[in-house]
This record gives sequence, C-alpha cells and structure tokens, in this order.
Amino acid sequence: MKTKKPMAIGLLILGIVSILLALYLDVTNLQLSYNLTAKTSFSINGMLLIIGALLVIVGMYTFPTRKHKKIINILFLFPLLFSFAVTVLVPFGFGIFYSMTDWNGIDFNKFVGIANYVTMFKSADYLYSLLITVIFTVVNMILVNFAAFALALLCTSKVKGKSFYQAAYFLPNLIGGIVLGYVWQFIFNKVFTTVIAGSDSMLTDPNLAMVAILIVSTWQYAGYIMMIYLTGLTSVPKDVLEAANVDGANSWTTLLKIKVPMIANTFTICIFLTLVNSFKQFDLNLAITNGAPARVLGEKIIQSTEFLALNIYNTAIGKNQYALGQTKAVVFFVILAAVSLTQVSISKKREVEM
Amino acid sequence: MKKKIVSVLLATAMVASLLVGCGGISSNKSDSSGSTGDAKASGDAIRIVNGKIEIDKQLKAFAKDYEERTGQAVSIESLGGGVDIQGTLKGYKAADNMPDLFVIGGDGDFANWGDYVADLGDCEWASQTDFAYKDESGTVVGFPYAVEGYGITYNADVLKEAGVDPASLTSYDAYKTAFETIEAKKDELGLTAVCSVAAESGQMYWSTGNHLFGYYLTGGLERDDTSVFDDMMNGKYDEDRLGEFADFFSLLCQYSDKQTLISGTYDDQLALFAQGKSAFITEGNWIDPSLPDYDATFDCGIAPLAFTKSEMTSILADSPSWWCAYKDSKNLDAVKAFLDDLATSEEGQKCLVTDCGMISPYTTCTVEPETPLARSLKTYVDDGKTSSWEWSNMPEGIAQKATGVVFESYAKGDIDKAGFISTLETAINDYTAQAQ
Repeated sequence: MKTKKPMAIGLLILGIVSILLALYLDVTNLQLSYNLTAKTSFSINGMLLIIGALLVIVGMYTFPTRKHKKIINILFLFPLLFSFAVTVLVPFGFGIFYSMTDWNGIDFNKFVGIANYVTMFKSADYLYSLLITVIFTVVNMILVNFAAFALALLCTSKVKGKSFYQAAYFLPNLIGGIVLGYVWQFIFNKVFTTVIAGSDSMLTDPNLAMVAILIVSTWQYAGYIMMIYLTGLTSVPKDVLEAANVDGANSWTTLLKIKVPMIANTFTICIFLTLVNSFKQFDLNLAITNGAPARVLGEKIIQSTEFLALNIYNTAIGKNQYALGQTKAVVFFVILAAVSLTQVSISKKREVEM
Repeated sequence: MKKKIVSVLLATAMVASLLVGCGGISSNKSDSSGSTGDAKASGDAIRIVNGKIEIDKQLKAFAKDYEERTGQAVSIESLGGGVDIQGTLKGYKAADNMPDLFVIGGDGDFANWGDYVADLGDCEWASQTDFAYKDESGTVVGFPYAVEGYGITYNADVLKEAGVDPASLTSYDAYKTAFETIEAKKDELGLTAVCSVAAESGQMYWSTGNHLFGYYLTGGLERDDTSVFDDMMNGKYDEDRLGEFADFFSLLCQYSDKQTLISGTYDDQLALFAQGKSAFITEGNWIDPSLPDYDATFDCGIAPLAFTKSEMTSILADSPSWWCAYKDSKNLDAVKAFLDDLATSEEGQKCLVTDCGMISPYTTCTVEPETPLARSLKTYVDDGKTSSWEWSNMPEGIAQKATGVVFESYAKGDIDKAGFISTLETAINDYTAQAQ
C-alpha cells in the first residue's frame, strides 16, 4: 500500500512531463524522429503525447485515495471531455490568444496585447455594425415572436386544414438561408420592381434594405418558433381552460390570463432562440445584400446593412485581418453570452410552476 | 483474476491501436525528378490547388495526358465558386498539408506566403513571358497561366449597324458621340440600354472598385509605370485624371440600364449584354465562355475604357493569378518540369488556349485562340498595347469595404462629382492608413 502512492505520483509526473514535452516540440516545430532505415523514419512526437496521456490515466487509476470512484467516473467521461476540449475549449482559448497577436491566418510575429481591441472600438464600421445589429435583433425578435404566436393561435383554433397550415408555415425554415436569400433577392429586385412598375428595388435604399432583411428573416423563422408555441399551447391543461370558460372568461381574457402565463417557459425559450439567432444573422445578410446599399454619412460612405457576423467575416476573409476578425468574434461572444444569460434569468422569474 | 487479465488485454489492445493510428511513419523519398519512367504511387503526385474552377476539367484532362507521356502523376484540386481559396490554403498550411503548387492573386496574398514560395527563375518558361509574378528582389516566383484583359466590351454587330467604328473609341469624346448615336437609334437596334454597368456595392464592388478604378491607376500608362498607383498609396491624387475618370463613370451610368446599374448582379449585367439588349458592357474576356449560354451569335471585341480627353489605345491586361511552388515541397523538380511542359509544349499550349479559352502569357505560344474576346485581347497583347493590373496590389478588401460604396452612391446620384472625388480619396486614405 505504501509503495503504491509514490508509484502513482511518479507515473503522473512522468505522464505530464512527456505531454508537455510533446506539446513543446510541436510548438517549436522540432521533430524528434527515430530512423528505422535510410528511407523511413519514425516521428515520435505524437507517440510521446499518447504515452504521456496513458501514463496520466494509469497514474490516476492507481492513485490510492478514498475518492477512487470519482476518479473512475472522470476517466469514463474522459473521451467526451477530451473531444469537447479539442473541438470547443481549445479553439476558444486559441481564439482569445490570437486576438492579442498580429495573426494573419498562417502565423504571427508578435504579441500586441489589447491593441486589436482598441482598433476595433475605434473603427466606425464596427460600431455601425454593432448598432444596426442591435436594432435588427430587437425588431426581429419582436416581429418573429408576434408572428409566430399569432400563427400558433391560428393553428390551435378551430380553423379547417390546420395541419396543412402548420406544414406550410414551417416550410420556409427548411430551405437553406443562402438559397432563400438569393430567391428573395430576385423577388425584391425583379418581381417587386415589375409589379410596382418604375419603382427602384427595395435593396437600393439603406432603410428599406433593412426592412427587406427583416421581412425575409421573419418569414423564415416564424414557422419554426410557431412550432414551439404550438407545443406550449397544446400542453395547457383542458380542465383549466374549461374552468375559465365556466367562470365566463371570454377568449381574450383566457388568452391573456390563462394561456400566456401557463406557457411562460415557452416564451423564455422562444425569445432566447430568436434573440440569439437574430444577433448571429449571417446567411440571409450575405445572400440578400452582402452589406449593400451604400449610406452616405457626411464625408464618409459606408455599407448600410453589414451586421456583426458579416463584419467579422469580411474583416478576416475580405481584408485578411484574421487577428482583428478574431478580436471581434471574441467580443461578439461576450455580448451574446451576456445578453442571453440576462434575458433567460429575467424570463425565468416570470414562469409559472405547474 | 480472470477479469483482470481480460482488462489488461483490452487495455493493451487499445494502447496498441492508438500507437499504430497516431504514430505514423513519414517517409522521405529522395527521388523526385519528373521524367523518370514508371508511374509512381499517388503519394508522389504533384498536387495543385487551382483557383480557377472554370478550367478544372481541362486541367485534369491535361494532367492525365501528362501522366501518360511522362509517368508523373498530377492531381488537380480546384477551388472557387465562392470558396475562400486563401482561407482554405491557410487551413492546409495549419494542417501541414500544403499542396506543391498553389494560387496567389497578387501582392496581398503574396505578403502572407512570401516566406513559403520557391524560386522558379531557372525554369524555361520564366524567360518567355512578361506576366510572371516577381517578388521585391525581382525573383520569378509565380507561374502565370493566362492573360486576362478588360475595358469596354462592345457588340460589334450593333456598332456596325449604328455606324460606329470600334477603333475610334479611344477618348471620352469619342465615347460620348458613340453613346449619343446609339441612344438615338436604340429602338431600331433592339436595345433597352446603351451600356450594361452594375455598381451595386454588395456583389459588384469588384467590377467598380477594382476593375473600373483600375483604369484610373494605370489606364493608358506604360506597363511598368506605377506612378499613379504609388501616389495613391501615399495619399496623393492626380485631380485632373480623377476628374476625367469621374466624368466618364458618370457618362457610363447615364447611358446604362438603371435597374442593372443600381441593383443588378453579375448575371443581370451579363444577360443584358449577351441577349443583345445593350451595346456595351464593362467586363473583359472572361465573359467569353458564358456568351454561348445565352445563344449570343454576335461578334464582339474589347475597346479601351478611354476616360481621358486625350487618346488612350491600350487596355488593362495581366495575369489574374499565379501559381507558386511551395518551398518545402518534396517534388520541386517535378513541379518545375510540369510547369515547363504546360507553358511550352504543344499539348500544354493547346490546353491553356484552345481548351480553356484563355490567352497564353508566353511569347513562344503558337496556338491561336478561337473565342471572339480572346482574339480581340490577343491583338492588344501582340501589339504591346496593354497596361498592367496595378489594382490587384491595392490593400486587400478595399473595393468591398471602402470604394465600392462610393461608386454605388455616385451611380445612384446620392453624391455629385466633387463629392465622389473627395469621398473616394478619404475612403482610400482611411483604408490604406488602417491596413498598414
């Protein structure tokens, strides 16, 4: 029993050291290789990493402690934790790191601290994008939820052919955003200008172009949100509704005093989804306007409908400023996380417990 | 006890499989010359990332032919059609999966890859072209595979019917007269507009902010004259020249189809011209392959975008992108042999010119192009009446993020000529300052 502990600790240390060594070799681009023959050689960087990881696992397993079971639980979760770390946590960490360098997508030369963040908040195009994204998010959230709730009420009423309507309203959501965007661009540019002869396309006016994106976005997303409201509305117990009916509540009162409070948690989900999705709007934005039309602001002219996600994309890809784009993406994440967490915590308080 | 043995066995199997999977044996092959006899394993194939997806099929056919002739396998990977090529390449670099040959589009891209390209100066083709990409010290590093040129492309049949001589289109006044003449006969010529210009900033910024503005930078100048461009990068502008350019753009807008101008896409712009509904279009010889899609039967040619009062007889022509060899490629010699073959052999010339419908940038090329705009462009190249594409060396993304909107506003009439000039200058100055 007494020899077990030092052995486990030894294994752990050895494992960690070899992992660190492997990572160090990788970062510094050194290849430790073992020449098998003249033509083939064996790179042991990767092997070192795996052996290290295995040593750590064995060390943890053999570590004598009362929390043995907990350690085993963690070991069983390891595959999942590992893939989560590799696909989400590590890239996120790298992202934050790159935002403080002059990374160009290939390599970086120096560490610039918060210079990118300063540049970002000083650039007019970013601030403008932030502003219109916030406006778009608020308006779109309201429009989508109103439309979706209205459609859900319609689909739970006694109207004939309900399932047809449900399917029809949901259909736009099944079409990809890019396809849908180009179809609607055609409609705005060609169909509308032909129907109202002599008029210019909505997409040539900065304000109307924004309205155009709102229309398409609502049209696309309302059906999806409607489905969630629909589930909420059908889950309202019949006995409560009957009791309200017996008490003489009209349909309006029933809606406001019974149905809405009963499905408050549905509202939380729907508002959360629309908020996040509107804020992240990218595909429709890219396909319908790609930032156009131009808006003249005094001495400067800017793209009037470039939302944040598109701005980030254009910064990194269009302008080849990967580090600055990454900086914007980090701030994008922070804003999104802050706003949605606040929204959820506020909405949670209004929910009715069954 | 039995259980433990089983678990030990399982653990051993797991470790073994991990080691086999991740250890990886990398082989360093030393022989890589291209002309040796037998076909080699696919690991030795030259890998090319081509940025021009339109010529994918033709290149693959040539690669197959090349393999049959020399035994050197070549694999072509074409990107394009909205794929972010440079982003993909950066991904390959990060994954240590760089191709042997990859595409760059000018100084902006080269700034990223400068440390990773090989010197191609000793290749046979390098001395046979004016269009190779050279780095700052004059070393040839980029292989040109085509020359593209643009200006104002005209419908020769319509011009003939209207009595306008395309050869006379060499100054602002000549264009003005021609536009007026054709405008007057619009109905009998079956046109809906004289010109097909698209200036919407979301999707057509490259046409206005890059191509048209490119004429301000080098239009009418000698191939190595970069004075206007250099001045611009230092925040200085030739006010007279810019003024003339503004007037000419305004003239184009005035005679253009309005919906196409302010909200048209590339397809709209092209359709108008290809269906014979406009006499002019501000595109270049790359529309050649698209014209048959519209059953266009008319003859056409390219005229200089002569915005100046004085004569301008040259058009802007250059290699749109280059292939660079990856420095650490194990197939470097094979790559050079392949490039030599593509540029100088009869099969290679036929592939580039006849099959791909491009103009060969090589003086030794004897194959004549067959499409109308390519033929028109070739006469300019042969006569030496071309100016360089200095616009491709502007800071990356400038047309999309800064100048495209200025052109759109001017086209829509939101700003006047003085406003156009001042906002254009401010936009460029701000952008270049920020990019540096």
